[in-house]
Amino acid sequence: MAIAEFLLFVLTTTLGGMFLCGANDLITIFVAPECFSLCSYLLSGYTKKDVRSNEATTKYLLMGGASSSILVHEIELQEIVNGLINTQMYNSPGISIALIFITVGIGFKLFPGPSHQWTPDLYEGMLHSWFSSFRDYECNRSIRRQKDHPKMIISWLLRTNQIRWFFFSIFLTCSYGTKVEKIEKNQSFTTTDEGFLEKLRIIIAFLSVTSKVAASASATRIFYIPFYFSSNEWHILLEILAILSMILGNLIAITQTSMKRMLAYSSIGQIGYVIIGIIVGDSNGGYASMITYMLFYISMNLGTFACIVLFGGLPPLAGFFGKLHLFWCGWQVGLYFLVSIGLLTSVVSIYYYLKIIKLLMTGRNQEITPHVRNYKRSPLRSTNSIELSILFFQN
Amino acid sequence: MMLEHVLVLSAYLFFTDIYGLITSRNMVRALMCLELILNAVNINFVTFYDLFDSRQLEGNIFSIFAIVIVAAEASIGSAIVSLIYRKKKSTCINQSTFLTK
Repeated sequence: MAIAEFLLFVLTTTLGGMFLCGANDLITIFVAPECFSLCSYLLSGYTKKDVRSNEATTKYLLMGGASSSILVHEIELQEIVNGLINTQMYNSPGISIALIFITVGIGFKLFPGPSHQWTPDLYEGMLHSWFSSFRDYECNRSIRRQKDHPKMIISWLLRTNQIRWFFFSIFLTCSYGTKVEKIEKNQSFTTTDEGFLEKLRIIIAFLSVTSKVAASASATRIFYIPFYFSSNEWHILLEILAILSMILGNLIAITQTSMKRMLAYSSIGQIGYVIIGIIVGDSNGGYASMITYMLFYISMNLGTFACIVLFGGLPPLAGFFGKLHLFWCGWQVGLYFLVSIGLLTSVVSIYYYLKIIKLLMTGRNQEITPHVRNYKRSPLRSTNSIELSILFFQN
Repeated sequence: MMLEHVLVLSAYLFFTDIYGLITSRNMVRALMCLELILNAVNINFVTFYDLFDSRQLEGNIFSIFAIVIVAAEASIGSAIVSLIYRKKKSTCINQSTFLTK
C-alpha cells in the first residue's frame, strides 16, 4: 500500500470528474465517467487484505460496469437521436428510449432511488477494513514512531493545505459561470493525530462526494442540451427518481443500526434533493440552488466522514439553508408534490441526525467530549463563512 | 446487408449479456458478459457509421474508444477477481455474504 499509488488513484479520479463536468461531446461523456469509475474501483479495493472491502469492490465493479454499458448503449441511441433531431422529428419513440437509457445510466452514478443497493455495502465494506487496521496501528507503537510513514505524510499535507483548499473551493464555486465546474473538496479535519484514519476518510468522503458532483453536473448538461425539446418526459422521469430516492433513503436510514450504512442512506436521500434542483433548472436560479446545496452537502459529508464518531450538530443546519433555497425554487416552478415530499423527508432526516447527536451527548466514554468541542467549532466557522460568501455573491 | 438484421443482432447480444451478467454465479463469466454488452453497442455504432451520413456521426472513433475502455475495465475486473480468488479459492459470487442488511 504505497503512497504513490494512492495519490495516483485519487488524482486520476479527480481528473475524470473534471473532464466530465467540462464535457462538450458524447465521447467525453462516456470516457470521463469511465475514467472516474475505474479509478474509484481501484480506490475502493485499495485495502487488499480485507475480505469485506474486496466484496464491496466486486459489487461496485459489477454494478458500475453494468451501468456503464447501459450508458454506452444510450450514447449510441443518442447518435440516432442526433440524426432525428436534425430532421426535425421531435416526438419519435427513439428519443424516449434514448432518454430512458440515459436516465438509468446516469441514475446509477448518482445513485438515486432504484439503483442505490450498492452504496451502503460499499461504505460499510471499505470502512470496516480500515477501522480494524487502525486498531492494530494504534496498538503497535513501533509503527507510530515512524515519522516518514506515508500516512503521516498525508495527514501533514492535508493539515497544512487545509486553508488553501478551503479558499480554493470557495473561489471555484464563485467562478461558476455557465459551465459547471467541479468543486474541490473542503477539508475540515480535526487536529488530533489520526493520520491513518484520515486517509481512510479521504477515500470514503472523496468517493461519496465527487461522484455525486460530477454525475449531477453531467446530468444537467445532458438533460438540458440534447434533450431540450422533450423536457416534459425527463421531468417526469427525474421526478420519479427524486421521490423514490428521498423516500427510500430517509426511511431506510431510520432503521439502520450501523452508522456507516446510515450515512450512506442519508446521502441517497440528499441526492433526491439535488435532483429537484436539476429538474428546476434554468428558471429562478435552479442551477444556483443546486450548486449551493451541493456545496453544503460536500461540507456536510466531508465533515461526517472525517469524524465518523464525532458528528457535530452544525452541518445539518447549514445544509437546511441550501435545502430551503432548493425548495423555494421548486415551489416557484410549480413542483408542489415534489417539494412537499422533500419537506416531509427532511423532517425524517432530522430524526436520525439527532440520534447521532444524542449518542454523542449521552456517551459513556468521556474522552469523546473534548474532541466534540474541538470539532464543533471548526464546522461552525467553515460552514458559516461559506454561507456568507455565497449569499454575498448571489446578491 | 439490411439495417434491421444488424440491429436485431446487437439488441439480442445486449439483452442476452445483461441477463448473463445478472444471473451468473461465476465472477469471470460476469466479466465476460460485461465485455459482450459493450461489444453489442460497438456493432451498432459501426453499422450506423457504415450506412448513414458519416460526417456527423462518429461511430468508428467511438468504437475504438469503447474497446480501449472496456479493455481497461476488464483488466481491473480481473485484478479484483484474482484478489478474491487468492483469499477464497473460488470465484462464486454467492460466497460473499458479509455485507448483508
